[in-house]
Amino acid sequence: MCTLDNIIQIIGKEVARLILGLIGVLVVVVVNALVLTWVERKVSGHMQRRIGPKEVGPYGLIQPFADGLKLLAKELLTPANVDKPLYYLAPVIVFIPVLVSFIVIPFDGFLQVKDINVGILVILAFSSLSVLSILIAGWGSNNKYSLIGATRSVAQNIAYEIPLLLALLPVVFMANSLSLRDIVEAQREGWFVWRWQFFAFLIYFIAATAETNRTPFDLPEAESELVAGFHTEFSGMRFALFFLAEYTNIFIASAIATTFFLGGYLGPVLPGVVWFFIKTYFLVFVIMWFRWTFPRVRFDQLLNFSWKILIPVAFANLIVTGGILKL
Amino acid sequence: MEISTKIKESFPSLEPKECPYEQNGYHLSIEATKSNIVDIARFFIKEDFYLADLCCVDYIDYLELVYFFSKHDKLLRIKVTLKIDPEKPSAPTISHIYNIAHWFEREIHEFFGVLFDGHPFMVYLFLHDQIDFYSLRKKQVPVPDEDKRLLNSFKPEEQEDGFFLNLGPQHPSTHGVLRVVVKMNGEYILEAIPVLGYLHRMHEKMAENRTYQQFYPNAARMDYLGALNFNLGYVTTVEKLCGIEVPERAQYIRTITCELNRISSHLLWLGAFLADLGGLTPFLYTFDDREQILDILEAVTGSRLTYSYFRFGGLFNDVDDNFVDGVKKFINRLRSRFSMYDRLVTGNVIFINRVKDIGVMDRSYPIRYGCSGPVIRSIGIPFDMRKHEPYAAYDRIDFKIATGTNADNMDRYLVRIQEMENSLDIIEKALKELPTGPIKADKIPKKLKPPKGDIYHTIESPRGELGIYIVSDESDVPYRMRWRVPSYSNLMTFPELAKGTLIADAIATLGSYDLVIPEIDR
Repeated sequence: MCTLDNIIQIIGKEVARLILGLIGVLVVVVVNALVLTWVERKVSGHMQRRIGPKEVGPYGLIQPFADGLKLLAKELLTPANVDKPLYYLAPVIVFIPVLVSFIVIPFDGFLQVKDINVGILVILAFSSLSVLSILIAGWGSNNKYSLIGATRSVAQNIAYEIPLLLALLPVVFMANSLSLRDIVEAQREGWFVWRWQFFAFLIYFIAATAETNRTPFDLPEAESELVAGFHTEFSGMRFALFFLAEYTNIFIASAIATTFFLGGYLGPVLPGVVWFFIKTYFLVFVIMWFRWTFPRVRFDQLLNFSWKILIPVAFANLIVTGGILKL
Repeated sequence: MEISTKIKESFPSLEPKECPYEQNGYHLSIEATKSNIVDIARFFIKEDFYLADLCCVDYIDYLELVYFFSKHDKLLRIKVTLKIDPEKPSAPTISHIYNIAHWFEREIHEFFGVLFDGHPFMVYLFLHDQIDFYSLRKKQVPVPDEDKRLLNSFKPEEQEDGFFLNLGPQHPSTHGVLRVVVKMNGEYILEAIPVLGYLHRMHEKMAENRTYQQFYPNAARMDYLGALNFNLGYVTTVEKLCGIEVPERAQYIRTITCELNRISSHLLWLGAFLADLGGLTPFLYTFDDREQILDILEAVTGSRLTYSYFRFGGLFNDVDDNFVDGVKKFINRLRSRFSMYDRLVTGNVIFINRVKDIGVMDRSYPIRYGCSGPVIRSIGIPFDMRKHEPYAAYDRIDFKIATGTNADNMDRYLVRIQEMENSLDIIEKALKELPTGPIKADKIPKKLKPPKGDIYHTIESPRGELGIYIVSDESDVPYRMRWRVPSYSNLMTFPELAKGTLIADAIATLGSYDLVIPEIDR
């Protein structure tokens, strides 16, 4: 008889843990996207003096399922003259970095798929990949709006990845490790956001908002200019994958901020995983708050802001932190 | 008249004829010829006149081009006519002198078949290339073969030094169905060409087929956001043409409802403009306020968007105390909301960076393009038809005109915000002085048959100067009705303003015009 133990024996403990972890990650990704779509609709509703969804289920809780079902049922339209391999590949590629990033995030002291000693490097390296998917989505769509959106996205991501990295480095210095769990454990004496790294936190958060293409930095999909930017030509489930990736990216960006600056899963009384989700979802809420409050910046203003303000400040912060630690 | 002697000095062959302003709406009329019309246009632009309107009337024996030149600083309107042969109609262009004539002449070409010599881009403005007759001619005239080569819709070709992007007709930022073909180099606009006609309904032809009363609802369909103002423009023009006196109470109620309409239009613009800039939330806030106005107006007029509230000689029905209370309540509510808009929008750093010093207009624009409304007031010219050529009860109410200084998008925003506050003041004063009495003039005939003649009358719509030109031949149907709409001349400035700017800025500028496309297309 084939039992679970047998399977684990055959494939090895490490692999079994990874497979289990990946399944868990997939569940988290989908559930998170469902929750966030509902939250976004409710948050935007209340910010705009309306109620938001309320008909489907209590408080509209079933609404995301209805939305998801609708997207699944929709026809997959392929416009004429698209670059087929790229066009079909883009929604899939957008999803890979998202999944990988989840592997190293510590939801609790023990709840982590795999603690890699270069954890943050894995996340940063793979999140750069999402630009690639946006670029090929825009290039493959045979649409000028998509193309402009994609090129904007590339310029924006290059500009904002630098301050993002520079803001995370001082924390790595202080924790003396690249492993995410070590970084959390280093905050037992106090969160890094209060231990001299407030500016780093601000820079990270701004850069992360830009990396996830959210208002006021949502230029790649600026509605009033580019209709829907790089995903203009995607419909049905292909669009849903971009949508899913966007919300998961927001979650990951907030999760990293939580891990690096807000003490991760650390917190009194409640279990660690609860603390982790409270902190992360609070940051997600702040990002949504931005979206429904601010107008959009212009493209040159966006790049200037990164190159002329964020990067110099982040560099200064890095040098000062390094200097103090050395002394 | 001073200008009359000046014209005689410059053009000894001309004989300026003084006209009764109360009857015709213009002070002087001049008969020009093909040989001197260009020099006359040059003379007028030197004298700081702007080309208010250029239209054509088909008198069967001859076609008559009618030019209206007006001034911004004082009330002076001069009609210049040019008779042309209907068999082979042609006239010299003045589009190199007045840029606005560029579109006017294209329009006349497609509706009357008049060819303008020297016009750089003689292509249909509204119609598509399947139309093979001239629609506003009184007799059916087929399009001659040599003219058919001009009947190509605009189809841009890809070029080496840039690419074309179609903004519209279904694009989120070109409210309604405007299409702008932009030639771009990266994010920069090299050239912008508005393509019109997606909502063209030929209201001017419809007017020639129905009585004055029957045409009345059409006015509201042109500008659905300033419907009451368009109604009023039409009604007052016909009243002036027929010599109908309107009771005082009706005049005041017309003023109040029109100002409410103006505020509702500006509120919608405010939301849409910010949505263009990426801020979606204010849209819902302004709709919330606008809803209050619509409720108030619905109670008196019976409709929420395309009103037909006014009647020739008065109103459809009287207002009651509920209306007065509702308006007073609304005034208080909106005043308290302005401070919220200020905190939410005006002071926002991102907003300021997006609109300040963007889309700066040149001082020559009002003359060359004849732009009007908040667009011209943002340049600093206090040109407002309500003061310039008062109608309804505006001459009895003291009010301020909001002006800007920089002529940028920020100023156009501020002028409109200020205008809403001024409108609230007007409504408040009008309510205080609201006289009692009848709301309708007695003895209005069932069938209006105005005396022979023509009239040009203007009002200030939420978007600017609305001019209506009616030619009457003593029948109950207008012989020719011409609408000079404000968005038309405002939009004309866009190609020049957009050149060399970023696409994001161009869209902000386009939003700041407050365009209503059905009004342009008619």
